Amino acid sequence: MAIIEVRNLNVTYRVLMNRTSSMKELFRDLLKRKIRVINYVALQDVSFTVDKGEVVAILGRNGAGKSTLLKVLAGVLPPTKGTSKVDGKIAPMIELGAGFHPEMTGAENVLFYSALMGRDVKRVKSRTADIGEWAGVSDHMDFPLRTFSSGMVARLAFATATDEQAEVLLVDEVLSVGDADFQAKSRARMNSLISSGAAVVLVSHDMNAVRTLATRAVWLENGNVKMIGNPAEVVAAYEAN
Amino acid sequence: MKYAQLIRLLVGRELTLRYKRSAIGIGWTLLNPVLTSFVLWVVFSFVFASRLPGTQQYAPYLMAGILLNTFFSQGVTISAESIASNGPVLTKVYVPPQVFPISTALAGLVNFFIGMIPLAIVCYISGQPLAWTAPFVLVVGVCLALLTAGIGLTLSIMYIRFDDMRNIVTVLLMILMYFTPVFYPISILSPRLQSIIQMNPLTSYLDVFRWAFSNNASATSGDWIFMLSTSLLSICIGTVVFKKFWPRTVAML
Repeated sequence: MAIIEVRNLNVTYRVLMNRTSSMKELFRDLLKRKIRVINYVALQDVSFTVDKGEVVAILGRNGAGKSTLLKVLAGVLPPTKGTSKVDGKIAPMIELGAGFHPEMTGAENVLFYSALMGRDVKRVKSRTADIGEWAGVSDHMDFPLRTFSSGMVARLAFATATDEQAEVLLVDEVLSVGDADFQAKSRARMNSLISSGAAVVLVSHDMNAVRTLATRAVWLENGNVKMIGNPAEVVAAYEAN
Repeated sequence: MKYAQLIRLLVGRELTLRYKRSAIGIGWTLLNPVLTSFVLWVVFSFVFASRLPGTQQYAPYLMAGILLNTFFSQGVTISAESIASNGPVLTKVYVPPQVFPISTALAGLVNFFIGMIPLAIVCYISGQPLAWTAPFVLVVGVCLALLTAGIGLTLSIMYIRFDDMRNIVTVLLMILMYFTPVFYPISILSPRLQSIIQMNPLTSYLDVFRWAFSNNASATSGDWIFMLSTSLLSICIGTVVFKKFWPRTVAML
């Protein structure tokens, strides 16, 4: 059963040529008709599905549309044309810790981040200590986040994001969090999330990770799907390119 | 409501974070209006105190004005900025973006109510009892929160599109303050100027607030109507504008 279904997805950004960010200039240019709006096509006719327990890797150069695709899947960016249907709870693991605030304590940040993801705050409250322990920052949970090292922040964010079973994981290069021990631990947790039925979309430049983790790969180029299929084959073609 | 918990957390964060590193923490919420009012009172009481009509007292008059004006201008500035400053989150996790400006307006409302504690003390010192109409300040607060949230929602879109909007808003807010009888009695102005000042909705909010809290001004039914209608209009316009322009704006974050 497909948990993620993307059909003929198109995303177009409207870009103002000689883009002005000041109103004065905008009025001036509008009067002189110097403004042109061009449509920048970020994604064109992208279709794929992700089933339960599947890991789909998205490959492509910078600017190929990978981040745009993740934003659409996360429900942040509306598609210009086509549809993107995601069934179930999403755990976005894109730039972990984006919702963290340096002046709030570790425990407060865990609560806040969970609330952002739409989780039940009461349930998370009882889990906070466990989350801190899993991330290896138990002693620091009552201190402001600015006293954490960047590795600690990343670990806490990963622990929070993966604390509840989600149907969909959106992963953007976060498999390399922390030291070797923690990496092994986080990989094990990812695997258990996947085996208990999560659908994963993974964006990575790490071809080894793609080959070992993914069950399917999608190669994006300039917003178009160039190739889709077996990860080993797609990676080989991508690297030959 | 799924995001009620998030709004509660955001309001709490807004209230505590600003003074997190200070010694008396949230005590500044009490102290700030007192200090600002005191300074202005020292400066202006010679000029304006004797010009107030009837039994009105200058100290509570001024402080009520400052409380309300702070709520409005701070609420507008912070809620307009809230979308841009939470951009990194909004492009990663799906959250209804409106919760940020709305939480800011609610935090302003809480600050407004906290500020009424010193205001009540100042009323008492200047020999003025609280009026029986005091509960009506709740209506004023809610209306002002709606007005602030509505303007904040509209501005937050413009802040993302135009960088110089911030500077324009700062200047506009300052002009607006002088067009609101915050520290001067409206009766000292010429009739022509008075009619201009009356067109400012904040004047009505302030009249109702001063009247309700300690009967320190007169409020007409016109003030009530003006207050209620502008707050509803503002939140409606804000919501519609935000809904319409957000899909295109989020791509710019």
